[in-house]
Amino acid sequence: MADATLQHTATAGHGLAGEFEAPLFGAYSKKVGMWLFLASDSLTFGALLFAFSYNRIYTVWPTPFGKDSIINATVMTACLLSSSLTMVMAVFAAQRNDRAWTRNWLLATMAFGTAFIVLHGMEWTKLIHEGLTLPGFPKPAGQDAGEFAKISTGVPQFAATFFGLTAMHMLHVTIGVIYLGVVALRKWFLPILGVIWLGATFLIPADNVFHYAVHALLLGLIVAAIILFLKPKVYDAHDVEVCGLYWHFVDLVWMFIFPLVYLMSTKI
Amino acid sequence: MHDVAKHDDSKAQYFWVWGALLFLTAVEVWLGYRQIFEPVRMLEVLLVLSVIKSALIIGYFMHLKFERPIMRWMIVISVVGCFVIMYSFFFPDADRVLRLGVK
Amino acid sequence: MATSVTAHAHAGPQGFIRKYIFSLDHKVIGIQYFFLALTAVWVGMFLSLLMRIHLLWPGVTLPLVGDIKPETYLSLLTMHGTIMVFFVLTTAPQGGFGNYFLPIQIGAPDMAFPVLNMLSFWTTFVAFVVIIAAFFVSGGAPLHGWTGYPPLSALQSAGPGEGLGADLWITSIAIFCLASLMGALNFLTTTLDMRAKGMTMMRMPLTVWSWFITAILGLLAFGVLLSAGILLLMDRNMGTSFYVPLVVVNGQIMGHKGGSPLLWQHLFWFFGHPEVYIAILPGMGVASQILSTFSRKPIFGYKAMVYAMLAIGFFGFMVWGHHMFMSGMSPYSAFAFSLLTMCIGVPSAIKTFNWLGTMYKARIRFQTPMLYAIGFVSLFVSGGLSGPFLAQPVLDIQLHDTYFVVGHFHLIMGVAAIFGMFAATYYWVPKMFGRMMNETWGRIHFFITLAGTYAIFMPMHYLGIAGGTRRYSQYTEVAYLQKLMPLHQFMTYAAIITIAAQFIFVINLFWSIFRGPKASDNPWESTTLEWTTATPPPHDNFGGVTPVVHNGPYEYAVPGAARDFVMQTDPAAGTTH
Repeated sequence: MADATLQHTATAGHGLAGEFEAPLFGAYSKKVGMWLFLASDSLTFGALLFAFSYNRIYTVWPTPFGKDSIINATVMTACLLSSSLTMVMAVFAAQRNDRAWTRNWLLATMAFGTAFIVLHGMEWTKLIHEGLTLPGFPKPAGQDAGEFAKISTGVPQFAATFFGLTAMHMLHVTIGVIYLGVVALRKWFLPILGVIWLGATFLIPADNVFHYAVHALLLGLIVAAIILFLKPKVYDAHDVEVCGLYWHFVDLVWMFIFPLVYLMSTKI
Repeated sequence: MHDVAKHDDSKAQYFWVWGALLFLTAVEVWLGYRQIFEPVRMLEVLLVLSVIKSALIIGYFMHLKFERPIMRWMIVISVVGCFVIMYSFFFPDADRVLRLGVK
Repeated sequence: MATSVTAHAHAGPQGFIRKYIFSLDHKVIGIQYFFLALTAVWVGMFLSLLMRIHLLWPGVTLPLVGDIKPETYLSLLTMHGTIMVFFVLTTAPQGGFGNYFLPIQIGAPDMAFPVLNMLSFWTTFVAFVVIIAAFFVSGGAPLHGWTGYPPLSALQSAGPGEGLGADLWITSIAIFCLASLMGALNFLTTTLDMRAKGMTMMRMPLTVWSWFITAILGLLAFGVLLSAGILLLMDRNMGTSFYVPLVVVNGQIMGHKGGSPLLWQHLFWFFGHPEVYIAILPGMGVASQILSTFSRKPIFGYKAMVYAMLAIGFFGFMVWGHHMFMSGMSPYSAFAFSLLTMCIGVPSAIKTFNWLGTMYKARIRFQTPMLYAIGFVSLFVSGGLSGPFLAQPVLDIQLHDTYFVVGHFHLIMGVAAIFGMFAATYYWVPKMFGRMMNETWGRIHFFITLAGTYAIFMPMHYLGIAGGTRRYSQYTEVAYLQKLMPLHQFMTYAAIITIAAQFIFVINLFWSIFRGPKASDNPWESTTLEWTTATPPPHDNFGGVTPVVHNGPYEYAVPGAARDFVMQTDPAAGTTH
């Protein structure tokens, strides 16, 4: 986004410097804006965690997650944590004005993020197949009627909060990957995103919920295209740092969802 | 204008933070299997660990530790304040519903 | 519009679309918000007129809507509330006047993020289109009131409007949340980062403070409503049970169980109460600005005003439970919420006394903006006084869901905030469009509107105490309510007259925009930065120079000064704040 303070600082040589009061937070506007957004977003997640806690506190909560689910979730956590590290490296590279390595580190971050999404998607598919589902989801062929199915009907809040929380987080990770992609590759990212969207739409069977969820990518594609059209520019170290803030925040939210949703429901 | 790289950053510190985060995650998973605590106590322990982890992420990865104190405190206090307000009024209510036995 | 004076002035965009439709200029966006809210307020007002007419003549077939069934009445009420709260009370003072005047009043060339600003307006516009669409889908508009309480709002089969109409309603609210978030973080960043040299936080006009605090509230509150709305959408379309317990509708067991309608109430009111202050705080700021200007006196207790607004914003987050005393919440929570609600009376009283102190022994210029500002104070007091009644859980048992509540919140949140907007319109139209508004018609409009609103909303208090329940479409069938019909009659007549009087305002506004006498740069002899620049302001507000601020915002009647006011930019011997 445009940053009028920056513009004015950029023209410092023309005698415009010092015409503004020092920013109260001592940071450039974009960073302040992102922090404020994150404050708001953390309350959005706070409210969801609230709904989770409120539903949970007076319900006998099932503990169905077996070893494979937990291992999977732990690997996902490690992916996100490592992606945060590569993101920090990208910020460092951007501050050195090292374009190539900025892009490389951003791509590494995106790779970890994508791994997270794919692992999580497979986990969802597996759980839905085993019977943990919502009434609104498409019903896959040969869905189990085992323990998970009993939970879905017996304690509907369990499936509702599980899918609600993780879907919202997955949406944030997806937005984050698109954001990183735009910063790293700019308009060249759009065709890649388009191909991923098309491919996923055709490859994922219609009885899988991601057959529909993948259209979020199309929405992201449109929004990214609008933004790139409105502000075609080369992203600088500030932009990389700001998108890093968003990415770390997504990581941070998972640090609460992982123990609350998974670890508090492990099958012993 | 505050410069992004004003202070002394050493990359090593980020690797340490990353290592600490992975270690804490491992501890959480281990706790999840050991079941040495009652569920409520377990929840408390996990939440404390999560708060430590998020403090590490916010402080180091998101760089808030190195921002100006006014920004640091304004943001942290407003968000944490909202959570405290929400939860401290919220849970007595849910608890009451529990005791009334309304399902 | 933009005539560049120095080398640094940015030339404005030239094409019609980039200049007036998809403009990045905060002034154009402010005017767009203003007219969007003006459209919305006419829609909302029309709906309220239909409701009032129906209450008086239940059998009459009305134009456009036809026969009003009880469900139709409920959907009128829902849409009236939603459109008024979101697209008028939130949009006009903050998005409209805030967008236009916050950057100018702090000496900035534009908002911090102009593109985000534009997206924020167009997102709001989409939200408005979506909610209007709810009228036209099969089943019509939703029935669940602007608060959208489940299970009614969470079940597709709960009523005729609860199908697609309710989905559109929630979608609109969710889109509006996103727009407000974008707006709020833009306002905050602009205020934090783009103040002109010398414009310290404690030299900002109280309007800027009010927009700033409103933005904080919006930032923290709308995120919560967003997730509440997402969960409601999931309940409706994914079959989850966040809000729905085991319920039976029309003899059929719904597929939900185990949810809690209280969850929605908590999440909604966690947003909903700050929303009340989002509506009223900009009005407070405008009233302070205008009272000081037209009293020709510095605002009484500037710092106290700032701290009072901060306190109101702070307490605003801790009192949402007072909307839920009747929901079966824990009595201990009710006690805490009641106590905290009473606490809000303290900063509100500080503000009121400071307004009175500003006017005390002043040579007041009774021009239209001033009349509206005084009207604002009057309505704020009379609406506010019924607040402590409702804050008592014991009294609330009697008064909950009666016309007492309707009268209370319409006076304080509805009409008081609208009076703030009227004051702002009469005060700032000369700067926005370069023409003065007609003074005589302005006064006539004021007196009819003031008398009319009191005539509409004061009797509601009696009605409520007598047990007149709200949201009933007909009172003719209930014996004890029939005695109250004369009051309803009186209110409906008052409403018709008051609504008719609003044509005066609109005609005056449009006539003035095109035909009014040209305004000078500073017609009210005011001190803040927007009056130092040309009328209407050039593209980058100050023609390429950034003003330097030397004084506090309300330096009127300064001893020893050449005029009876000292502009904020006057370097000459002003006192310092």
